[in-house]
Amino acid sequence: MPLLAGILTAQNDPTAKEIIQKSDQKMRGETNIATIKMSIIRPSWQREMILKSWAKGTDYSLILVTSPARDKGTAFLKREKEIWNWQPTIDRTIKMPPSMMMQSWMGSDFTNDDLVRESSIVTDYEHKLMGMDTTENLACYKIKLIPKPDAPVVWGEIVTWISKEEYLQLKSEFYDEDGYLVQTIFGKQVKEMGSRLIPSVLEVVPADEEGHKTRLEYLSLEFDEPINPSFFSTQNMKRVK
Amino acid sequence: MLFTLAWRNIWRNRRRTFITAASILFAVLFASFMDSLQRGAWDNMISNVVNYYFGYVQVHQDGYWKEQSIDKAFSLADSLEQIGMVDGVSAVLPRLESFALAAAGETTSGVMVVGIQPEVENGMTDLKNRLVEGQYLSEEEEAVLVASGVAEKLGLKLGDTLVLISQGYHGVNAAGKYPIKGIAKFGSPDLNNQMVYLPLPAAQYFYGAPGMVTSLALKLDDQEDIPEVVGILRAQLDTSAYEVMDWEELLPDLVQARELDTAGNVIVYFILYMIIAFGIFGTILMMSKEREYEFGVLISIGLQRWQLAFSVWIEVILLGLTGALAGILLSMPVVYYFKVNPIRIGGEMASSLEKFGFEPVFPATFDMQIFLMQALYVFILTAVLALYPIFKIRKLQPVQAMRG
Repeated sequence: MPLLAGILTAQNDPTAKEIIQKSDQKMRGETNIATIKMSIIRPSWQREMILKSWAKGTDYSLILVTSPARDKGTAFLKREKEIWNWQPTIDRTIKMPPSMMMQSWMGSDFTNDDLVRESSIVTDYEHKLMGMDTTENLACYKIKLIPKPDAPVVWGEIVTWISKEEYLQLKSEFYDEDGYLVQTIFGKQVKEMGSRLIPSVLEVVPADEEGHKTRLEYLSLEFDEPINPSFFSTQNMKRVK
Repeated sequence: MLFTLAWRNIWRNRRRTFITAASILFAVLFASFMDSLQRGAWDNMISNVVNYYFGYVQVHQDGYWKEQSIDKAFSLADSLEQIGMVDGVSAVLPRLESFALAAAGETTSGVMVVGIQPEVENGMTDLKNRLVEGQYLSEEEEAVLVASGVAEKLGLKLGDTLVLISQGYHGVNAAGKYPIKGIAKFGSPDLNNQMVYLPLPAAQYFYGAPGMVTSLALKLDDQEDIPEVVGILRAQLDTSAYEVMDWEELLPDLVQARELDTAGNVIVYFILYMIIAFGIFGTILMMSKEREYEFGVLISIGLQRWQLAFSVWIEVILLGLTGALAGILLSMPVVYYFKVNPIRIGGEMASSLEKFGFEPVFPATFDMQIFLMQALYVFILTAVLALYPIFKIRKLQPVQAMRG
């Protein structure tokens, strides 16, 4: 009987690490190609841009601005730890210096560093199941992620809410080393995209700035289309469409 | 009678008179020269910065000047008209200003990119006359005018392409390349090393802020009108939305540096006056010593002591007046010469002055008030020193004095 009980609990209650792993795979896929509407929301104004993005694993990604017209063709390429920026208006490729990493990306609540950060929520953290909770009317696992001592991570800890049924990341709170909340990312409007059920809207809300928000809405999303690594080159960044 | 006596005494010993008057004359000359030069340096500095760029009054969105962020730009249309109507304002210069990284080849440099209405701008800052090469901008073109320091640093020449990268209005991506149409030279090293001018529409596109400006610089008919214009504008404009600042508020560093320098100079003036005072005192002392016998005789034959003392005092005062007037007369051509031919400082001294934001040129200010004030100070000094012979005469023992 104790043996049977043990097997049953293992099936019903996955470990914290398994939950994170499943959720991470779900959002990322082997590769993904997305069209995203990014809205930067501020107390007195709001701005929108349309981005197209290609990503392969955690090492490669390419983001192309397709709208508004004045920024069309601007592209960002991430190769491992480097970011390159293609500015068609001046025919120049700029490698982002480390000093610019903490600056805002295109005026949003993302930093350039957010684009290159290599850390994996699976391998770079210790996971601890804190219990069950409800967010967006869905039953969630509440999991605390504490970075491993040698992990390349800027956060002190992350608390994330992952839905029990579909392993969707519905909410994540990011804390700094002193335990203060820095930002919260919400996953909203769960729907099927690229034949997976995922939150189609991500909202980044910085903790200390009232009324500031950056909203990413997936307009289209495809998973696991094969992409050749040579696609992620500074040459291709200039001609990609 | 006493006055006649004094007058005759002056001309009795001409050499003595000449020496005393000359020491007063040089005192006035030195003090005026120093003051003119010091004021001239600061006036030059201020006109370099204020007349050639900032203007005497500026209007911004409230809080702009503190942050100097392009996000505090405002729409040009609604606010412009009423400002131009105010008495004393002869022109309104709309500008869109922000910082950008300028690049050419492998070199980069931080610059201030300013969108201007070329003709209006020229009306106040005389930008066209500062061109050393090339041509002035016109309103509808995509070209830049750069300060010579910027061109030098980036190794750019007329007709080369300047690449600008920045963050625009509300964080938009700002990047553009422009041919250099003109190169201008500014006296102020600060301006000369960072100014890049674009026509306003091109700048608005570059920064992604169509129809917007960050500041309005006002051209005034007369510098004296500053407080009045500021007062009217503060009453007329919505002060929760806009801020009106005069140049002293815009550039508090400059005002404070001037005050500090002037305060420091008080000590120098004090020392200068001390030296002058001792010089004049020396001649007065000599005179009273030399004439002790004469004083003794005059008192013995019945001249009242106060009459004698008064006539000597008048004598010194007359000398003081003559010296001071001659000092003014001599200062005028000297100071005028240095106004027209400013002192230029070269070498290492020049580069250290430039680090402080000074053009290493010291033109003198020609202001009658400086001469009059300095002459007055020296005259008062002389009048006080002239009390010495009075004390001397009061205590004079005629018998001893005549025995010498």
